[in-house]
Amino acid sequence: MAHRKKRSALLAGIVLFFLLTGVFVSQTQPFIKLSVKDYPTLSRVIIDSSFQLSFDIEKSSSLLMVNIRTDVPFRIQREAFESRMIKSFGWSKGKDFYILAIRTKIRNFSYDYFTLSDPPKLVIDFTQIAKEESEARDSLREKEALREKVPQPSTASPSSRIRTRSSSLQGMKTIVIDPGHGGLEPGAKGRFGTLEKNVALEIALKLRAVIERNFPSRVVLTRDKDLDVSLENRAALANNNKADFFISIHTNSSFRKDARGSETYFLSRDATDEEARRLAFMENNPTEFEEGITRESEDEIQMILWDMAQSAYLKQSSLLAESIQKELNSLLRTSNRGIKQAPFTVLAGVACPAVLVEVAFISNPREERSLTREGFQVNVAQAIYRGLVNYIELYSQK
Amino acid sequence: MDAKRIALLAVLLTILAIVVVIFFRSGVMEKIKPPGEAPLPVLEPSPPGPVQTRKIVLFFLSEADTLLHPEEREITASSSIVRQAKQAVEELIKGSKKGYISPFPPETKLRELFLTRDGVAYVDFSEEIVEKHLSGSSAEISTIFSVVNSLAYNFEAIKKVFILIEGQERETLGGHINLSRPFLPLYDLIAN
Repeated sequence: MAHRKKRSALLAGIVLFFLLTGVFVSQTQPFIKLSVKDYPTLSRVIIDSSFQLSFDIEKSSSLLMVNIRTDVPFRIQREAFESRMIKSFGWSKGKDFYILAIRTKIRNFSYDYFTLSDPPKLVIDFTQIAKEESEARDSLREKEALREKVPQPSTASPSSRIRTRSSSLQGMKTIVIDPGHGGLEPGAKGRFGTLEKNVALEIALKLRAVIERNFPSRVVLTRDKDLDVSLENRAALANNNKADFFISIHTNSSFRKDARGSETYFLSRDATDEEARRLAFMENNPTEFEEGITRESEDEIQMILWDMAQSAYLKQSSLLAESIQKELNSLLRTSNRGIKQAPFTVLAGVACPAVLVEVAFISNPREERSLTREGFQVNVAQAIYRGLVNYIELYSQK
Repeated sequence: MDAKRIALLAVLLTILAIVVVIFFRSGVMEKIKPPGEAPLPVLEPSPPGPVQTRKIVLFFLSEADTLLHPEEREITASSSIVRQAKQAVEELIKGSKKGYISPFPPETKLRELFLTRDGVAYVDFSEEIVEKHLSGSSAEISTIFSVVNSLAYNFEAIKKVFILIEGQERETLGGHINLSRPFLPLYDLIAN
């Protein structure tokens, strides 16, 4: 008797199990379907969808990111494939967008895409390119892609800048200057009470003046008075303004009394580690579990997006840093300090060449006094300006 | 009798339903590992022996240059890496005996130190490390890599270091360097 009871319970359990999984699976949802085909000269990724895709594409080393904007959840079907160039798919979800990461087996690839509307289909072709060509081709393609884009209304999403770059100003550069700290956050303090936030603002205002006087451009400050601005919002402001350059201005401090001189930083990261982490995350969050995506993982996605923003510009950022540092060295007659890399929060989310200038050491009494001097501030602003313009003339001409 | 059986069946079904739901849900949760969450203590063999010491190397600043300079220190060779690592950080905060500069506000306390299975040491400092910090880029870099390098250099089990403040993840120490992910050691910063 007890045996039968057990058995019937087990049976009921099994029935229930299938019923529940059935409910999970059969939810009629929009979908996209991924398939890969190899052709003699290219590998083709075909994305069929049950709805019109609003998307854009971002390339980074051995990865192609397809940002799909939708707030309707959909499911992803993948077909098993074997391809010369395509390694795997990963994907991730934000509040109103999805990212499909297509991982390639090779680093030197170029891509082309086209869309069909009935039924909706996005086709991306990958071609391998020779090593020497790859860099030039990439930058050319980037420029072309950027020119095609229609400017988007600004949003706070870091990904928005990854997608769009305005060419509405026709060659006019947008330069975002970021005076460090501000408001309740004074930054470093000097022996005589000088505050980093005030010096940074003074120099930023002077830099804006120099640029506006001499260079046809649009200059935006992340703050033009003594205000609290979060690090994230500074980067977002740059991205929403479609900045071409981001220059953060700080004054340094050290536990060493003798520390002196200026330093220009750009973002550092352990690239392989980061990429691995990013992909691991995406692969661990497959679409089948989307209802279960937690608040934390959304934050994680936001973080990943912020991370990616600057990584595409590290090379340019390093060149910009070098150019600015060179001018500062000759101004301050210091040659031993150079450009440096560190994981600055404010730089990570900026989607354009971005540097952080540590003008001088506010913790060094002599430099503190210099920093408060109007003349010195003007000189620094001019040096940064020269560094920026030299960079633009060398690397960034239209 | 029949009613009893039905009731029993209903209970069993509910339990099963719950198990099934948990099964699905828990799969999701397990796969998402936000960096700051529940570090697992590494289990270590604990054969107690006589009090032995071991030499470790700590890294401090010097007026001479911008690099980190090594200074040897004896700590108790406890069987627990975590206990040894704690000693190392505490010695680091106490400062140099050779006149090097300690890149920590002297009021800083080490609250806790955990080590995860995959080699991330979570080092939890008291609020003073933020409050009393000089908060310049160079100062932040020195503080962070003095800890990170000292731990990674001496303890093979420690691959990366995640800095917490009062048990919480903090954006930065003073507005510059990102603390929201673990640091790998940067041996370029070490003198010689």
